[in-house]
Amino acid sequence: MTSICLYFEVHQPIRLNRFTVFNIGDNESITRYFNNSLNQEIFTKVAKKCYLPTNNLLLDLIKEFKGKFRVSFSLTGTFVEYCNEHMPEVINSFKELFKTGAVDLIEETYYHSLASLYDDLDEFEEQVILHRQMIKNIFNYKPKVFRNTEAIYDNRIAKKIAEMGYKGIITEGTEKILGWRSPNYLYKPVNSEIKVLLRNYTLSDDVGFRFSARLWKEYPLTADKFSYWIAKCQGDIVNLFMDYETFGEHHWSETGIFEFLTHFPEAVFKHSHLDFITVSEAVERYAPVGEIDVPLAISWADEDRNVSTWLGNEMQIACFNELKNIGRKIKEKNDKKLLEIWRRLQTSDHLYYMSTKGLADGAVHAYFSPYNGPYEGFINYMNILQDLKQKLD
Amino acid sequence: MKIAMIGWEYPPFKAGGLATHCYGLTRSLANKNVKIDFYMPKTKQNVGSDNPNIRIIPVGDSEIFPYDRPDSREIAGDFYEAVYKYNDLVVKKILYNMEKHGKYDVVHCHDWLTMNAGISIKEKTGIPLIVTVHSTEYDRSGWLNPNQWFIDIERKGMEHANRVIAVSHFTKRIIVEKYGIPPDKITVIHNAVFPVPEGHKKDIVLFLGRLTIQKGAEFFLRAAQKVKKYEPDTKFVVAGDGDMLPRLITQAIDLGLSDKVIFTGRLSDEEVKHLYGISSVYVMPSVSEPFGITALEAISAGTPTIASKTAGFSEAFNNCLKVDFWDTDEMANKIISLLRYDPLRKTIAVEGKREVSLFTWDRVADKTIETYRSVS
Repeated sequence: MTSICLYFEVHQPIRLNRFTVFNIGDNESITRYFNNSLNQEIFTKVAKKCYLPTNNLLLDLIKEFKGKFRVSFSLTGTFVEYCNEHMPEVINSFKELFKTGAVDLIEETYYHSLASLYDDLDEFEEQVILHRQMIKNIFNYKPKVFRNTEAIYDNRIAKKIAEMGYKGIITEGTEKILGWRSPNYLYKPVNSEIKVLLRNYTLSDDVGFRFSARLWKEYPLTADKFSYWIAKCQGDIVNLFMDYETFGEHHWSETGIFEFLTHFPEAVFKHSHLDFITVSEAVERYAPVGEIDVPLAISWADEDRNVSTWLGNEMQIACFNELKNIGRKIKEKNDKKLLEIWRRLQTSDHLYYMSTKGLADGAVHAYFSPYNGPYEGFINYMNILQDLKQKLD
Repeated sequence: MKIAMIGWEYPPFKAGGLATHCYGLTRSLANKNVKIDFYMPKTKQNVGSDNPNIRIIPVGDSEIFPYDRPDSREIAGDFYEAVYKYNDLVVKKILYNMEKHGKYDVVHCHDWLTMNAGISIKEKTGIPLIVTVHSTEYDRSGWLNPNQWFIDIERKGMEHANRVIAVSHFTKRIIVEKYGIPPDKITVIHNAVFPVPEGHKKDIVLFLGRLTIQKGAEFFLRAAQKVKKYEPDTKFVVAGDGDMLPRLITQAIDLGLSDKVIFTGRLSDEEVKHLYGISSVYVMPSVSEPFGITALEAISAGTPTIASKTAGFSEAFNNCLKVDFWDTDEMANKIISLLRYDPLRKTIAVEGKREVSLFTWDRVADKTIETYRSVS
């Protein structure tokens, strides 16, 4: 038996307003950091193109296959805030899905932040607990599996998550940590008792990145062809992890991505040795086959599969350090409003926009960025940090 | 392959970017074994070439400064006459040289000033004509009262040309829209740059260019006034000469910048390089900029650059900051940010230098040879 574990990351960052050096130190400036109208516009657009139609489709498929088609989600805190503010029907449709019993939920940091890379893990733990409380409030559920922001992972993070009581943790199935070994099994960290699920990046990216690439030699990708590739895989589990926005947003409806998803379960069930499981079921059913040792953080982002996506140049490192220092002062002050603003500024996307990586990755960064390039991203964000810093003095 | 190239300036005689372009292009073509006879007006300085594939052929007896915009009719009359005379002499000289040394494969003209000669050679001998457009009359006039006499020559030259080379897509668009030339007749070849060494950086924000309406120095001064309040130790240097100099000096005084702005006047090549090297920010607020070689020169010297959004080079260049030339608030925001945030300045300098190294004359020469082959 080989199990398919299908998992979607659902996230929207809180984008910032234009903030110039002349705005630093203005009265009431802290109320003007976040660009509510742009955020609402993008959220509504993506909800209509992706979240609502894909949720409906998944609900139909789960019903059609009587719960044998199973999926997992991670919903970031910022995403849920958008739902509550602008379109409660989106969160309701996730609740519907969850009620079927064929849907699992994954834990992460509430703010989709880089807090796991801070010198100590207090803030990281607080943000995980915030997320836990949110999931408890909405779904009355306690996730068993954790996935850090963009699957950032190292031994220290794994140990912390094991200590916090989770049974599994998700990261990238990169050769950097596996060497010759296959991602299609569970592993365990060298330093703690928790099971590690590894993304099969080739198969995941076939759908996530390459599906609509006409120059790809496998274009067009059909559900039958894709299921056949999975069926040929050796191993216990094939982890297909991708952005939820893959459906209808990264690949528009016209590319046939919804038809692909519609036919996917049926195509999989043609192979009698395949089934679908959620992340919690994966860690219950399968045992680790080996250990992984990850002293330096990896992630599933960019070609480099490390944290250079967010901390790859001096601008990013400067902002990251400034943000950490501001946090220290805010915590001393114990000001709830400022704490929330600071946490919203921790969303990793803000640093992602400042990446100066060229070629293939650069194009991806530009696609997601609300700025005209990494330098404008830096100026805007750094100006806001300077303003916030002044408010603390 | 043997080319008759017609220009009006060549180092060390230099009034603008055209001399740099002709120098870079002819050197790299010569290295690829293209023989070039470069025709230009005779100058007081001695212009020559040490490369056996390049012959500099001076024509007539006077220098021509085509960037000076003839305001009064009297001067204008003399200027037009000098241009006609130069073109006639070039034609005679080319025909004479062909009789003596054999035919050229292509005649290649640069900008309007040389186009009549190119047309005439093509009509008399049938040799294919290529014209490179470095700027149009619309650019030079800043889109205010463009001179029909120049426009007509430009149009005629492009119509007669077998192919037109534009220095940017920005310029190609103008050639299509304002001159009615079919887009498939125009090849875009972006300029290149000879790198300038980095110097010891000082708190200097630099403007460098002709002080004409096209280059937008007045917007630089308005931004400077806004920066002064926030970064009082910064000096602003306006380098270059042109018909707007007196007006700009008055403007600087009116804006309360007399202790902050330095007008250098016309500088030597060495002085220009030194300035690029020691400046912390370079600003190119051109109203209309077909390419903007100076921006790439500044970037090559490790100087972060803020350029007009529409500047031709920036359509193919990522590692600089872009503004609308009229948006002096945003220009000031970016100048202050560059002065204040070391990591921004360092990252943009490093990435900019890396990217600018891709803009080589070798690449320009390859694309130019391709264009020659397509017509001969």
